Amino acid sequence: MNRTQAHRQHPPNAKSTHETMVDGHVTITELEKVYESGDERTTAIEDFSVTVPSGEFLGVVGPSGCGKSTLLYLVAGFLEQTTGTIAVDGDPIDGPGTDRGVVFQDYALFPWRTVMGNVTYGLEEKGVGKEERRATAQRFIDMMDLDGFEDKYPKELSGGMKQRVALARTLAYDPKILLMDEPFGALDQPLRESLQDHLIDIWRDLEKTVIFITHDVEEAVYLSERVLIMTRHPGTKKTTVGIDLDRTQPREELVLSDEYTATKNDVWQSLREETTPGGER
Amino acid sequence: MCGNRFGKKRRPEENAERMSYADFRLETVVETIPNPLRRIVRFAFEWIPIAIVAGLWELASGTAVSSEILPPPSAVFAVSWELLVSGRILPHLQVSLYRIGVGLGLSIVVGVALGVGMARVKPIENFFEVFLALIYPVPKAALVPLAILWLGVGTETAILIVFLACLLPIVLNSYNAAQNVDRNLLWSARMMGMPAWKLPIKVVVPATIPSILTGIRQAIPIAFIALVSAELIASNRGVGFEILRHGQIGNYTSMFAVLVVISGTAFVAVRGYEWLERRVVTWT
Repeated sequence: MNRTQAHRQHPPNAKSTHETMVDGHVTITELEKVYESGDERTTAIEDFSVTVPSGEFLGVVGPSGCGKSTLLYLVAGFLEQTTGTIAVDGDPIDGPGTDRGVVFQDYALFPWRTVMGNVTYGLEEKGVGKEERRATAQRFIDMMDLDGFEDKYPKELSGGMKQRVALARTLAYDPKILLMDEPFGALDQPLRESLQDHLIDIWRDLEKTVIFITHDVEEAVYLSERVLIMTRHPGTKKTTVGIDLDRTQPREELVLSDEYTATKNDVWQSLREETTPGGER
Repeated sequence: MCGNRFGKKRRPEENAERMSYADFRLETVVETIPNPLRRIVRFAFEWIPIAIVAGLWELASGTAVSSEILPPPSAVFAVSWELLVSGRILPHLQVSLYRIGVGLGLSIVVGVALGVGMARVKPIENFFEVFLALIYPVPKAALVPLAILWLGVGTETAILIVFLACLLPIVLNSYNAAQNVDRNLLWSARMMGMPAWKLPIKVVVPATIPSILTGIRQAIPIAFIALVSAELIASNRGVGFEILRHGQIGNYTSMFAVLVVISGTAFVAVRGYEWLERRVVTWT
């Protein structure tokens, strides 16, 4: 809770004219996404509104096929909404932009580029000079414990390492908002946990706004300050649950604490209503 | 062993996987042999089938079949060797390789541009799709008389036929792959600030390279087929013309020998290409 307050010192609606550290405030208003193919109309997302203040870590859980990923790709600007608005720091978005960075579940690294080449990619597009590009990239490569692997190609890396490269690649061009689409979903438990802790540190140090999609309730509760639960088809916001945990304690104690168990149960109950057939809509 | 004689490259792990389904694997035997010998044994296994067929052919020639119409391989290989060593075939080989080089080169440039263009730009696809479907089943040799009409007898006609024959595998491979470029790769580039118009060059083409290389590998033997069929009709130089010339004067051993030279050259070309590919494109 105190973390969130620290991040909220800046008024959330203040439009930034310069690159301040604390912005990246997302407002989604009455969002609707309808897929049309031929005569068939499928509503993926309906009547969806949420405000994500600067620096918040928002977890999003929902039954499979509820449109979690669609939501994320709409915010990323990859897809276009049918109605409604998505605004970053008060400005409605218009397609993809470097203020937002996505981390995909399948890493989506460029196979023809080395680790270094992948991490410098966004900086190249920004027009950063070669020396500075490499220095910045090296900083994030080191941060993700990838030093020594700069000249490797993605095919030579394990899944966990690929995801670390993907994270370094996205962090390197310094987006204010991280959009994460089940980034650790394909990794095994120990690897997932270590990357989760790594992500919390990064989020704290770099003061990013994070929207983190997952189907894993424990992951959402462990990472997030607030968890948004989506309804089953069509996806809309069911409720949000604030997570108030004492994060100073190590993981092994935190996961055994009563607050953690209680919060996890709340989220799990709420989600279960959506996944159980005949459950409340 | 990398690749088989038809030029389809397999990765070692893919090879291992394939072999493991076979009931009898020579590889299990080969693996028991110490390393320096192992290479030689593998090489021997690769050529044993050829040796068997050549042996049967040698026996049949002059006994079951007249050596006039089926010259023995010993004679054929000897003449092939003589053609190369004396250099008599070299000017023809040079002309033919030049035609292949230019025709194949053009087909790579045009084929990749067309394939990627078709995959990413709907009007281009709509325009060319029907032409590809129509050209595909036409034997390229059937176009030689028409090509002679336009370009006359000679190099340009051979280049055109090689170009047309090679164009299809290259277009189809790059078209398919460019259509199926991982959406997340394109999105990744976009989120990092790449404007949409740059995507074809900066993302689609590199992502398509493995398939483009496959297309080129498939095109190399096709280039030789097209070349010879063009030179048989529309040339007074080149290896295809040499086959015809020796055939017409009844020198069948030489005719076979030229055929062996062509086949060997194509084999070396594919193997050389694969070798180069493995060293240049290391990221696939």
